[in-house]
Amino acid sequence: MRGHELMIPIEIKDLTAGYDGRAVFSNVDLELRDKDFLAVIGPNGGRKTTLFRAILGLIKPMGGTVKVFGKEPAGSPPGIGYVPQNENLDSEYPISAREVVLMGMRCKKGLRPFYSSEEKESAERAMEYAEVSDFADSRISNLSGGQRQRVYLARALAPEPKILMLDEPTASLDPSMKDCTYDILRKLNRDGIAIMVITHDMSSISHDVKRVACMNRRLIVNDAPEITQEMIALGFHCIPELVHIGPCDCGGHNDG
Amino acid sequence: MVDWVAAFSMPLIQNMFMVAAIACVLCGVVGTLVVVKRMVFVTGGIAHTTFGGVGLAYYVMSVVAVSWFTPMIGAALFAVVSAVIMALPAVSKKLREDSVIGVLWSVGMALGVIFMSLMDRSVVTPRSFESILFGDILLVGSFELKAIAVVTILSLAIIALFFRDLQVLTFDETHARLSGINVTAMNLVLYVLIAIACVVALNVVGIVMVIALITIPAAMSNMFTESLKEMMIVSVILSLIMAFFGLIIAIGADIPPGATVSVTMGVLFIIAITAKTAYVKIAQGKAE
Repeated sequence: MRGHELMIPIEIKDLTAGYDGRAVFSNVDLELRDKDFLAVIGPNGGRKTTLFRAILGLIKPMGGTVKVFGKEPAGSPPGIGYVPQNENLDSEYPISAREVVLMGMRCKKGLRPFYSSEEKESAERAMEYAEVSDFADSRISNLSGGQRQRVYLARALAPEPKILMLDEPTASLDPSMKDCTYDILRKLNRDGIAIMVITHDMSSISHDVKRVACMNRRLIVNDAPEITQEMIALGFHCIPELVHIGPCDCGGHNDG
Repeated sequence: MVDWVAAFSMPLIQNMFMVAAIACVLCGVVGTLVVVKRMVFVTGGIAHTTFGGVGLAYYVMSVVAVSWFTPMIGAALFAVVSAVIMALPAVSKKLREDSVIGVLWSVGMALGVIFMSLMDRSVVTPRSFESILFGDILLVGSFELKAIAVVTILSLAIIALFFRDLQVLTFDETHARLSGINVTAMNLVLYVLIAIACVVALNVVGIVMVIALITIPAAMSNMFTESLKEMMIVSVILSLIMAFFGLIIAIGADIPPGATVSVTMGVLFIIAITAKTAYVKIAQGKAE
């Protein structure tokens, strides 16, 4: 971990990535700094999740480099906790919240059919942090969307990562659950974890994050927690004034 | 009227119950993984390709006169090869999974028909198509019983050893990759386990009804359990109860055991769904 502290958590240079030999975004540069809190906004189909997949090493870059604490993230990137979109997981799977959180400890290598007492303690700490302990033994299918999201957050926190990446953690949550989720993220950030979050929730940006990036097949970063006019033009294919005044009729579309 | 004491003292009947018990244990555990990962169609595909292996074995036995290449070994060969083809990333990335399954399913069955038509029936007398497709548990010999017991023990040992990885893989494949699990290798292990379970199950219910033994107990168990381990254990218990119940009906009514077991499982599955739905409605009514 000492080595980690000296390096930039995530460093992306001139990144081009895509699927089946076709680039879906290109020439992306980005730095996630120590103790950073970066929101990534943009339209659906803007390839925000693909950017995350490239950072996590789930797809190989077609050009440029991705470094996580100075190393290429092939396989399992060290020190990253990832919280996927809630609806991508099978909520009918027979598993308790505690078992899901324990899955986070699988990154500790070894062919062991059981979790050690240290691993269980780490999972318990993560559950307390993410406020999951009260329903730790409930089957995930019996939990609300917000509770499930916190379970996946606890799973990402269990191995004590230095970076946390979240893909739309507040999508389809009610306002109180959104506040609760961002309270936990703020607390984590104060404790030194660098956070990168994909969000459509513009209200959270001014209160919670330190920087904003807008992704729509290319990336613009603002070092302040503000959405710039350039970002609105990139994200919505419209001049900013039209976004504020009324429906967009400029003929642009958000590529799905 | 059946003399049950005399029936259960017959080695043939004892053998039948032993084969069924072993198959229920393996299929209950592997079936749980099949149901949670939604791989029922994969299982159907692997099960049906085994017909090609059975046909090949009879053909080889009749032409080359080798006794060790039995229909069960032929079935295992085809099942494992088809499972490996389905699990290979090079195949699954380039082709739709259901198309691959469809091709293997139909070609496997067709090869079985061709091999059986080409074999020399004066050298080897094959089991009937009906017996192979719909099962004839009474024909399982002591060699097959021992082989089934050994592969079941080995398969359960592999599942116990890799349980955490299989749980992560079947719940969230992306998380499995991020955790450093070799997803390709683990998927291969899972597909081969399904292939082995199919070969074991076809001894009880035949090729066509393998899905019943692998899917129904696990699907029922999923309605009443809270964890993967619990689901496996309950699935095995349900499988044993339903299979034994079906076999007793088959002996009593003198009807085919494999088909009776499948129908028994299907009927009890419908009863379980109805009971669960009624229970939930009553519980909701009380809460209101």
